[in-house]
Amino acid sequence: MSIEPRVGVFICHCGHNIASKVDVKTVSEYAKKLPNVIVSHDYVFMCSTVGQELIKEEIKKHNLNRVVVAACSPSMHEPTFRSAIESAGLNKYLLEMANIREHCSWAHSDREAATKKAMDLIRMAVAKAALLEPLEETEFQTYPAVLVLGGGVAGMRAAIDLAEYGFEVYLVEKSPTLGGRAALTGWLESDRRGADVVNNLINKIAENRKIHVFTNSELIEFGGFPGNFKAKIRINPRYINEKCILCGECEVECPIELSDEYQYGLSRRKAIYYPFKTAYPLMYVIDQRVCIKCGECVKACRFNAIDLSEQPKLLDLNVGALIIATGYDPYIPPKGEYAYGLHNNVITLFQLERLLDKDGPTQGKLIIGGTIPKRIAFILCVGSRNTTPNSKSYCSRMCCTSTLINAIKIKEKYPETDVFILYQDINTYGNDESLYERAGEHLIKFIKFEEPPVVDIGPEGILIDVYEVTIQEEISIPVDLIVLSVGMIPRRDLIDLLAVTRASCGTDGFLREAHLKLNPVEAPTQGIFLAGSVTGPKNIIESIRTGSAAASKAAALLSKGKVKTEPFVATVNDELCSGCRICVGLCPYKAISLKEINGRMIAYVERALCMGCGTCSAACPSGAMQQYSFKDRQVLAQVLALIKGD
Amino acid sequence: MSSNDYEPKIVVFACNWCTYAAVDLAGTSRMQYPPNVRVIRVMCSGRIDPQFVLAAFEQGADGVIVAGCHPPSDCHYISGNIKALRRYSLFRRLLEELGIEKERFRLEWISASEANKWVQVVNEMVRDLKRLGPVKLEVEAV
Repeated sequence: MSIEPRVGVFICHCGHNIASKVDVKTVSEYAKKLPNVIVSHDYVFMCSTVGQELIKEEIKKHNLNRVVVAACSPSMHEPTFRSAIESAGLNKYLLEMANIREHCSWAHSDREAATKKAMDLIRMAVAKAALLEPLEETEFQTYPAVLVLGGGVAGMRAAIDLAEYGFEVYLVEKSPTLGGRAALTGWLESDRRGADVVNNLINKIAENRKIHVFTNSELIEFGGFPGNFKAKIRINPRYINEKCILCGECEVECPIELSDEYQYGLSRRKAIYYPFKTAYPLMYVIDQRVCIKCGECVKACRFNAIDLSEQPKLLDLNVGALIIATGYDPYIPPKGEYAYGLHNNVITLFQLERLLDKDGPTQGKLIIGGTIPKRIAFILCVGSRNTTPNSKSYCSRMCCTSTLINAIKIKEKYPETDVFILYQDINTYGNDESLYERAGEHLIKFIKFEEPPVVDIGPEGILIDVYEVTIQEEISIPVDLIVLSVGMIPRRDLIDLLAVTRASCGTDGFLREAHLKLNPVEAPTQGIFLAGSVTGPKNIIESIRTGSAAASKAAALLSKGKVKTEPFVATVNDELCSGCRICVGLCPYKAISLKEINGRMIAYVERALCMGCGTCSAACPSGAMQQYSFKDRQVLAQVLALIKGD
Repeated sequence: MSSNDYEPKIVVFACNWCTYAAVDLAGTSRMQYPPNVRVIRVMCSGRIDPQFVLAAFEQGADGVIVAGCHPPSDCHYISGNIKALRRYSLFRRLLEELGIEKERFRLEWISASEANKWVQVVNEMVRDLKRLGPVKLEVEAV
C-alpha cells in the first residue's frame, strides 16, 4: 500500500449532453491541480472506442494506478470503463465515476453552477479514488435452472426456449391454467385467434420434460444472488387430481354460481369449473374463495378425482435466474365513464373479443341482450392518453389494432351493421396500417375527437354526442352497442410481487427495465429478467419476442456454469473487533457469525452469503467491520473533499 | 453574507437502488432543481453511518439528506432501510441537542421512479436552509 496514488481524470462531453452545460475544458484544467492527479483529459465520447483507447494509453503512458471517469451515471457505463481499465492492466475496481450528466448537466441549466458542481463531483471522486483498493470478485457455480413467473405467452415462450437451451424450467402460474390473457384474446388476424397461438405453445410445454408446470401457485420467498437464487413457491390446492377426465358432472351439481372472469363477466360459472375450452392442465379446479365444501361434487364424481381435504404445499427451488412475465390487467372504467356500468350494451373491447370468439359465451355470435346490434360505436383511448380524469398518460399500443381487427370482423360477419370508430389518433403501426385501409373499404366510419365524446342513456337508447374536429361540427350518433377500447394497466397484485422479488416500478407503475433501450429485458437487479407486458403495454407478438429475449439473456448468464459476484462485501479487522455481536443481529442474510480467531471470539463474514449492503459496517462501534469500496475512510474522504475543497 | 447570495451546501447520502436511481431519472427527465446538492452513493441506506452525517456538519455542510428505499419492503437488501430508520430516528434527536436545527437533516424515502419527490425535497430543503442561513454553532460551548 506504499505506492502513491496516480490518478487520471477523464471527462466526457457526451456530445453536447455534458459540454453544453459544463465548461469541460475549465473542469479538466481544474482537475489537473487536484491532489494525486497526474493527468486529465476531456473527450467528446469517452465511452467510444477512441475514448476508451485514450484511457488505456494514458494508463500505460503515465503509469496511472487509479482512474476517475466523469461522465454519465455509473449505472450506465461503469461496466464499460471497468473493462477498459482492466484491459490496460489495472484492477477494474480502481475506477471511480463522477456522475456529471444525470446529476449535473441534465439537471442544472446554469452553466456556471453546473461547471462548479462538476468540479466538486470530480474532486470528491478523486479523493475516493486515491483510497480505492484492488478487489477480486468471487466465483460461484450456478444452478442450471430458471424460475419463470407467469404462464402467459411471454412466460411460455421463455420456458420453451430455456428448456431447448438445456435448462430445467419451473413455470409458475398464479391462476389455475396456462394461457394468460392471450388465450382469451379473440381474433388476431382474419384466420387466427389468440387461443390458437396459446395452444401451440401449451402443446410444446406439455411434451417437454424439462418444463415443470405449477399452476394455482405463487412465489412467496425469493433470495440469493444471480446464479444462486433460492425460491419458495406455494402450490395452492386445486382439490382435483389427474383422474379428472373433464366429464363435467361435478359442475352440474355444484350449487355455487358466480360471474365468469374468463369470459370477462359475460357469463357465469360454478365454484368447480374448467376455466375455458383449451385450459391447461386438463383438469377441473375448485375456486377456494367461494367453495362451501358441501361435497356435492365429490358425490357426483365417478372417478374419485376430487379431494376437498387437499392442503397448500410449499416447494423450495434452487434456480440460477428469474424471469418475471406476469402480464397486465385490462383497464376497467369506473362506473359512469362513457356510461360503463349503466347499460348492458356498453362493453369493453375485451368483452367484445369473447363475444366474437367461437369458444366464447355466444359461440362467436355478436348477440347482446338477445339481439344483434345494428349500430356499433367503438371509443378509443379509454383509460389511455389522459382522455378522462381516471386515464393513464401512456398509449396502450394494442388497442387501435385490436379495435380495427374486431370492427372488420363485425363487418365481414354482419355486413349490414353500421360501425363507427371514435378516435383521437389511429396508431396502427407497422403492417397493421393495412387494417386502417381495409376498415375504409368496409365503410367503417372514423370520427375524430379532441374532447372525449359524451354518452347519454335515454329512453330512446344510447346516444353519443361528439365534436368532430375534421368537419368541425357537433354530431349525435344513436347506437345500440358501445365498445370501449380499454388499455392495459399494471396488475393490481404486482405490489405483492415487488415485495417478494425486490424488482422495482417505473413512473407508469409497470416494472422498470435496467435500461429501456440497452437492457430492455433485464431488471435493475442482476439475474432477474422481464418479459411481456409486465414492463408496459405490448401486443402478443412483442410479448413472445421479449419472452425469447429474456430466455436468451438468462441463458447467457447461466451458460458458463459459474458467475462472479461483486466484491463489495463486508470484511473484519480482526484486531479491532471486540466480538460485541451487534453486526451478527443486524445482518439480513445471516452472513456473520462469531468465530474463534487467535483465541478470541470475533465476527466472521461468510463471503458467499454477504450481499454487500454495509449495514454491519455502519453499526460497528469500533470500525472493525468495513465494506469494500465503501469503507468509512473512503466515504469520509468524499465528504471532506466536498466541503473543504472548494 | 446577505440571504440572496448565500448558497447552502447539502450533502446527500443515497442508496444505489432507489434514491440514486431517482436522481438519475430526474436528470434523464431533464427536471431542473437547485444545484446545491452533491450526492454520495452507497449501496444501501443501512450503510449510512451517523458519523458520516456528523462529519458533514462538522466540515461545514448546511444540510444533510439521508435517503433510501421506502419502508417497509422496498429495500434491495431486505431491511437496510428499516435499520436506517431506527438509527436516524434516534440520531435526529441528538442533532437537535447539538444545536443543529431539525430542518438541516432529512431522512427521505425516494423510490427509483420518484424523481418528482427528489426535486421537491431538494427545493424544500434549499428554501428552508436559505431562510436559516449558515450553521450557527456556539463553538466555545461545545
